[in-house]
Amino acid sequence: MDSSSRRTFLAAGLALPAAASATTTDSPQTPSQAPVRPAQAPSFQYRTLGKTGLKVTTVGFGCMITSDGSVVERAADLGITYFDTARGYQQGNNERMVGAALKRKRNQIVLSTKSHAATRADALADLDTSLKELGTDHVDIWYLHAKSRPDEITDELIDAQQTARKAGKIRFAGVSTHSGQPELIPFLAKHEKIDVILTAYNFAIDPAVTAAIEQAAKAGKGIVAMKVMAGGSRGGRGRGGPNPNAEKLKKPGAMAAVLRWVTRNPSVHTTIPSMTDMEQLEENIRAGVLAFSDDDAKLLAVHREVIRPFYCNMCGQCDGMCRQGLPVRDVLRFRMYADGYGQFALGRERFQELPAQHAAVRCSECPGCTVACPHGVNVAGGLIRAQELFAC
Amino acid sequence: MLKLAGLVALVAGAAVAAEPVQPSCSLVPGWTQSGAPRSYDADHLFEYMDGNAEGYVRYNFQEMHGVTCKKGDITFVVDISDMGDADFAYGWFSANRDLRTPEFRVGMGGQIVPRRLIFAKGKYYVEIAADPEGDHTAALQAFASALDRAVPGETSPPGALGWFPKEKLQSLKLAPESVLGLRILERGYVAQYDYGKAFVVMDDAASEVMTKLKQRFGQIIPAKIADEAFVATDQYLGRMCVFRKGRYVGGYAISADGADPVTLATALAAAIK
Repeated sequence: MDSSSRRTFLAAGLALPAAASATTTDSPQTPSQAPVRPAQAPSFQYRTLGKTGLKVTTVGFGCMITSDGSVVERAADLGITYFDTARGYQQGNNERMVGAALKRKRNQIVLSTKSHAATRADALADLDTSLKELGTDHVDIWYLHAKSRPDEITDELIDAQQTARKAGKIRFAGVSTHSGQPELIPFLAKHEKIDVILTAYNFAIDPAVTAAIEQAAKAGKGIVAMKVMAGGSRGGRGRGGPNPNAEKLKKPGAMAAVLRWVTRNPSVHTTIPSMTDMEQLEENIRAGVLAFSDDDAKLLAVHREVIRPFYCNMCGQCDGMCRQGLPVRDVLRFRMYADGYGQFALGRERFQELPAQHAAVRCSECPGCTVACPHGVNVAGGLIRAQELFAC
Repeated sequence: MLKLAGLVALVAGAAVAAEPVQPSCSLVPGWTQSGAPRSYDADHLFEYMDGNAEGYVRYNFQEMHGVTCKKGDITFVVDISDMGDADFAYGWFSANRDLRTPEFRVGMGGQIVPRRLIFAKGKYYVEIAADPEGDHTAALQAFASALDRAVPGETSPPGALGWFPKEKLQSLKLAPESVLGLRILERGYVAQYDYGKAFVVMDDAASEVMTKLKQRFGQIIPAKIADEAFVATDQYLGRMCVFRKGRYVGGYAISADGADPVTLATALAAAIK
């Protein structure tokens, strides 16, 4: 069955299965393909979560903003195997909802939660509360929540994870990260006590993150991707400014393409797009059972054209053009950290590391920009934006 | 002087709604400010609470002003969030409270657990996190009273809460989108009971919503409640009875044996004023 006929079949109705058949796609040399079984419901793609050995669907379920447990319950029935929550989501009310929804399927799914705690005692107390609220005696993966620097992975937090593991309360230890990945992920890749890395990852992210997760996956770490919709699914706010992707990704098929862009990467073992309702669940499952297609590539290429004036590809052809001597690529990259990748703090930090004479430049006061980008990037606008964002 | 300035800012905020409402450690004797005050808007809240900011934003978060207070070895992290309006402020409070823990009467509604205070008043959501481990209830109560006096806004919870029966109630919260996991039901209150869920959604296009719901559930049986109603069964939501009363769409989804969704929905419709 070619992709169009698969799509036709899927579009005909989401007669989704109670149990999906497996297609394991562990090898980077054998890109995943949706199973071709026209008489049956669509099959999920499965991958192995690094050395944990856990088999997971490439489309998992981020429960953080789910409005009703029935959506989680149905997702498990349909065959999604990975579910993620956290102690801090709605003061634990989210864990309670997730636990109740997955009660019937607990032994058939991979369940993860997280703790924001900074000390061993607080972390272990969080875990006990999580287990109670989730109604289970163990979670499969327990993450240290929202870390961005190696020094945040303290010995006592690692000890908390190991203690919990010995007690049978967790099966595997993980770290979640929203920022600082180019530095943090390589550190985690080498950390023998960390099994799984949960990281923000999408088509608009810093290419250095792609390289970092590839390295980590090769080291045997399980890789779980979050923020996969690049801010385009709902709202798009909350990271360094109104997300430029949010409005532009409303084109039909765009969100599916964005999700498939992530799942096509064999170093990403599963994803946790947020799903608020049954409709979104079905959209994501439809998206996830198909391989990244030429149509998807075209759609994202169009999107890249739209965002081209904003995004520098770091080709370096503008080096030396600025009459003020600004390192144009660097400053545009700092701005992209905030506006494109949602890493405002990182962008500001890097900007403030510029030599004083460069940090003091205000392009808005310059009589005509001498930098001409051969790819159409609005250089002056980007530099001014960076200075407005980061210069104090 | 700094503390006094903070207090003045808070009081001024109470008097002039346009001014941000900022907490101050000096509201309770013996507490001193540690570090600089902080403030975040929706675009930068993730810097403060990466991994949890989306929840606030989903409930219409506008801005947050906070300060860290110390008394001896005890630290209170005090934050006041502007959620745009009282519905969202109470809604975010309702999403965060634990109905298994007693209410603390403050603002429109509040709750104190040994290391945490949360309450909503007017358009503001107030929270204090205490450190280290221990029972900080007395100090949290003192801050709650002081903040209640300082934060402006109404003290009555949304009237819709009174429509839901209290018996066997496990949780009652505002779902900011996709009530019952259905995109058709955009925003409303959901009550969780031992036996199922009740919901009420207000929508200017309530008739259209009912039409879409009927299509969604397929096999329906008309019922005689309010302006229109139907009964249906859903694999995940259970036995349902949905009604429309003016701009309101409400009903029950029953998952346990015994409870009758039609009887319950009739009572709920009657309670809606």
